[in-house]
Amino acid sequence: MSLPKDISELVRAAVISQETADKINDYYRSKGGHASNRLFIVFGIFGALLVGLGIILLVAHNWDDLSRATKLFFAFLPLLTGQVLCGFVLIKKQDSITGRESATVFLFLSVGACISLVTQIYNIPGDLSSFLLTWMLLCLPLIYIMRSSIASLLYLTGITYYACETSYGFYESSESYLYWLLLLAALPYYYLLYRKKPESNFMIFHNWLIPLSVIITLGTVAKDAGELMYIAYFSLFGLLYLVGNSTFFKRQKLRNNGYKILGSLGTIALLLILSFDWFWHDLRNNDLHFNKVITSPEFFASLIISLLGLGIFYFQQKNKSPKEIEPIVLVSLLFIITFIIGLSSLVSVVLINFFVFTIGILTILDGAKNEHLGILNYGLLIIVALAICRFFDTDLSFVIRGILFVSVGIGFFATNYWMIKKRKTNE
Amino acid sequence: MNSKKIIILAFILVALVQIYVPAKVILDRAIVLSSGKEFKFKTAPIDPSDPFRGKYITLNFNENTIETQKKEGWVNGETINVLLETDDKGFAKIKSVSKSKPVSNQDFLKAKVRFVTYDGSKLTIDFPFDRFYMEESKAYDAELTYRRALPDTSQVAYALVNIKNGESVLKDVMINGISIREIVKQDQQNRK
Repeated sequence: MSLPKDISELVRAAVISQETADKINDYYRSKGGHASNRLFIVFGIFGALLVGLGIILLVAHNWDDLSRATKLFFAFLPLLTGQVLCGFVLIKKQDSITGRESATVFLFLSVGACISLVTQIYNIPGDLSSFLLTWMLLCLPLIYIMRSSIASLLYLTGITYYACETSYGFYESSESYLYWLLLLAALPYYYLLYRKKPESNFMIFHNWLIPLSVIITLGTVAKDAGELMYIAYFSLFGLLYLVGNSTFFKRQKLRNNGYKILGSLGTIALLLILSFDWFWHDLRNNDLHFNKVITSPEFFASLIISLLGLGIFYFQQKNKSPKEIEPIVLVSLLFIITFIIGLSSLVSVVLINFFVFTIGILTILDGAKNEHLGILNYGLLIIVALAICRFFDTDLSFVIRGILFVSVGIGFFATNYWMIKKRKTNE
Repeated sequence: MNSKKIIILAFILVALVQIYVPAKVILDRAIVLSSGKEFKFKTAPIDPSDPFRGKYITLNFNENTIETQKKEGWVNGETINVLLETDDKGFAKIKSVSKSKPVSNQDFLKAKVRFVTYDGSKLTIDFPFDRFYMEESKAYDAELTYRRALPDTSQVAYALVNIKNGESVLKDVMINGISIREIVKQDQQNRK
């Protein structure tokens, strides 16, 4: 099925007039841009990406037979070429997205190649994280000067890599708070993209990469009071979910809404981890000193994210009834209380299991109401995951576990069958 | 039109910084290489790799610890100044360490504390030249070559380093006075 064919068929059948058909065609032409143009952008970027990465690999070979001066010449050659290309695009072809994006990709990668080669030639050990930091700082301005989305995406990937390399690495003492500043530096571009091209593919990539980067990096603040990170992460996932539920993102297709999907998946994953007793067991045995906790970075992270989340929650919920609160958001709020209860009592494990179960059921009902097979099965999968987790707890008898599994399996068949049948009768 | 000029100006500025940063590194090293003093550090090479910069051999230095009487509160990971001297066989030895820059005209080197013993009396030091980049086909062979030389106590591996004002540049890694690059090259030719 293609639009032009459908329209001409409708005109032939006299459903719509030729005039309406022309209007529809014009609308889609102006909205979608030219497909061939988009193809050029993609090829341009991929070409530059491959050439740039190829140069880095060539550099990594470490040519022993070349003299130091020759090596230095080859270190600066791609850098200068990239700069000339970017300069040319800026002066002559400012409006060509293909030109801007591909020249920037090439320059971005050549900067990395140049620093690599120089450190190689002089055997400078400079660990990977400081190398990445220098590289990203040198390329940050390119995002704004070249107005390049690819530069922004590469930069976001780079700073995430930097934060992980610094904090999850060998020297555990080193901190990567700088990451948050670096992230902040890229956000104005994201905002520009949101204002100017909210529907573009580049925007969608950002919608996935930014939450993903934050999720990966949040763990780097963990130090001594690691248990608190669960609060920080719960609040973060709740926050992401709220962002994904804002009016802007609600208009978009679900698969373009990284915030909502990551927020939901993250919450469920955390809940499933905490539905085991071992975490709460450790928590009760662990002496968390109030004074130590309140000054820990984990506490501040949890506090800031929770307050941010509450702020967004307040604004979104202001004009709505309490019935419309999404279960995922509710759970991220309730978790703080559950955590405090868990410090002294066993009830928390039961509560967490109850949360997972409720979210599963509510998701199934939601899917059924909206006749969305994907959501329906997601709800069922949550229940299945919970059942599998309980399967590993040895204190349930085999009979109970067996019955549990059989009933969930029947549930799968029954609900899907019912839904498909309902759809057919509607048709 | 005006904003276009500003953008282009900003771009030129960024481009210059992009050139300046690596160029400054080159310049600093060139000075150390041309006018620094040469030291030999006894070492053991092993072969890992870096995703962007390729294969290199890591150097494990023999003389990297020092007993210190001064309780200066050393911290793991901090940068300190290492004063050097040469032993009777011509290899570098740590004379002393200090937090402040040496005033007299002594040879010293900026390095990091890798590990301090609990009572603060013994320091293990990370020298800032523990990587020697090699062509990808040669790095592993270099490690093998070194290991073959190991049981023979008469064989000595050492790193050739130039030092000036605390800065250092690793020039070469030698086994018995011959560059490890040459040895590996010859080994590879002999096997063919």
